[in-house]
Amino acid sequence: MSRRIATPELGGATALLLHRPHATTQALARQLAAIGLRALPCWPHLDAAALSADFVFFDADQCHDEMFPWRPGEAPMPMIALIGSEAPGRIEWALGQGADAHLLKPIGAGGVYSALLIARQGFEARRAAADEIATLRARLSERQTVVRAVLALMGRGRSEAEAYAQLRAMAMAWQETIEQAARRICAAGETGGPTLATKRGRDV
Amino acid sequence: MRRDVEIGLLYSQSGDYAAIAAACRRGALNAVAAINADAERCVRLIVIERDPGGNLDHYEPLCTEMLREGRVRHVVGCVTSSSRKEVIPALEKAGGTLWYACPYEGFECSDRVIYTHACANQHLLPLLYWAFGRYGRRGHLVGSNYIWGWEMNRVAREVIASAGGSVTGERHQALGDADVGRLIDELRAARPDFVLNNLIGQSSRAFLDAMRVLREEDPAFAEGSCPVLSCNLTECELPGFGAAAEGVIAAGPHFAGAPLWGAGHGAEAASSFEAAAYVAVATLAALEERTGDPGTRLRSCGVDPETRHMALPVLIARVEEGLFKVLEHSGAVEADPYLARRERWPTARHPALRVVT
Repeated sequence: MSRRIATPELGGATALLLHRPHATTQALARQLAAIGLRALPCWPHLDAAALSADFVFFDADQCHDEMFPWRPGEAPMPMIALIGSEAPGRIEWALGQGADAHLLKPIGAGGVYSALLIARQGFEARRAAADEIATLRARLSERQTVVRAVLALMGRGRSEAEAYAQLRAMAMAWQETIEQAARRICAAGETGGPTLATKRGRDV
Repeated sequence: MRRDVEIGLLYSQSGDYAAIAAACRRGALNAVAAINADAERCVRLIVIERDPGGNLDHYEPLCTEMLREGRVRHVVGCVTSSSRKEVIPALEKAGGTLWYACPYEGFECSDRVIYTHACANQHLLPLLYWAFGRYGRRGHLVGSNYIWGWEMNRVAREVIASAGGSVTGERHQALGDADVGRLIDELRAARPDFVLNNLIGQSSRAFLDAMRVLREEDPAFAEGSCPVLSCNLTECELPGFGAAAEGVIAAGPHFAGAPLWGAGHGAEAASSFEAAAYVAVATLAALEERTGDPGTRLRSCGVDPETRHMALPVLIARVEEGLFKVLEHSGAVEADPYLARRERWPTARHPALRVVT
């Protein structure tokens, strides 16, 4: 897949550095300033103002869950882990926090720019996937409604295939999902209405 | 009593880009001569020189060798981005500084390098915006299969799209490949408003030769229409290119006859490569003569301590009868190597063109 990375979106962005004052934070701040970001060191925890930051760099060696104002994995921005100890437990914890990229300590003169781009791409892909999964889950939970709607339409003397085809046609005419159309059919059945009013007021 | 400061020169005196390296070397040596001839100066420069011969694998060992004894802390050198990347680890290990005097694609701010030539917001962006208003926004992109060509064309594509223009085609050639027939066929069919040439060396020469034939054959490409734009063509390659370079429009911080910037003020240079290397040596000498914290010293010598690039004048010039004629000369532009600070882009000076995404 080809992805295009737009370059000019980082200037003026804010990056929080959740790391104790250290050469690491200085090296990070220098690289961030060269790119055009504002680096804000925070220690020992992020306050609620962190919610408006564009990126969070966090120390995978010394940080723990209680330092973040959100639940693990629910950070509302891309996160970059600063890894010193490559102990599996620490890496697992950093991944659990939702790290989208990482930098190995000690931080030198490079690496921050690519970590920012990789973290942002990863974060956006993760968020888009989560949105899609939520939509699919919602549709899945409506399976029973679809069955009930098909049965209601079969009650008017149609075969199962005909009833399902009609449900699909209705959804297309109403410009909504099959699940939404099914809910409407079930609701009409429950209120005993003789016809199914469309969104535009036409009868079907 | 003057203090001796040893500086290293790391330029290839043979190989594909020898003409460019020779221009840089000339600029550096001119600056050394000027400083050493000035009895008022506190430092005297002693040149140690190594020649990598255009071989990428020779840069790092030769740089390490110069830095090894600890007397050389400033190395002026490298033409290609790949050779610069090769020497950075050696500089980090020894605490040395590379003074890099060539235009490059940006996306780097090593704290072991000082960049005295232009990055994309100081060459490509001003050149494209200049061309948009005069020729149109349909651009054709050609380049060599190398970081310069890839990244310059990627940035150009982004700038053209955000200005509401279109890219009529993009073609990359293998390094040194002089077979440009297919590229010219595509260009002939696409009829763009301009061509951005990011080919280097022999491919660039072959392309410009073929463009000249195309201009004679096809009235759509007649003299004065569909210009070839370049961010790295300078006077040092004009003798080798001959008539093929006629009409090329280039951007850079200097063309022969223009004043030098920063610590190079008052000197002359025959090309921007020569100028940037002159400024590099003049700046490192000025830095050696100052005291105080590193950031303040860099700033007082015209180097932005955050990006370690220089604010540069932007000149746009056209090749006419074998010489660059300057068409536009704008004031100093701060470097934005990551293209992340819009206020440093040429559009910031023309709010009507400001791009909103």
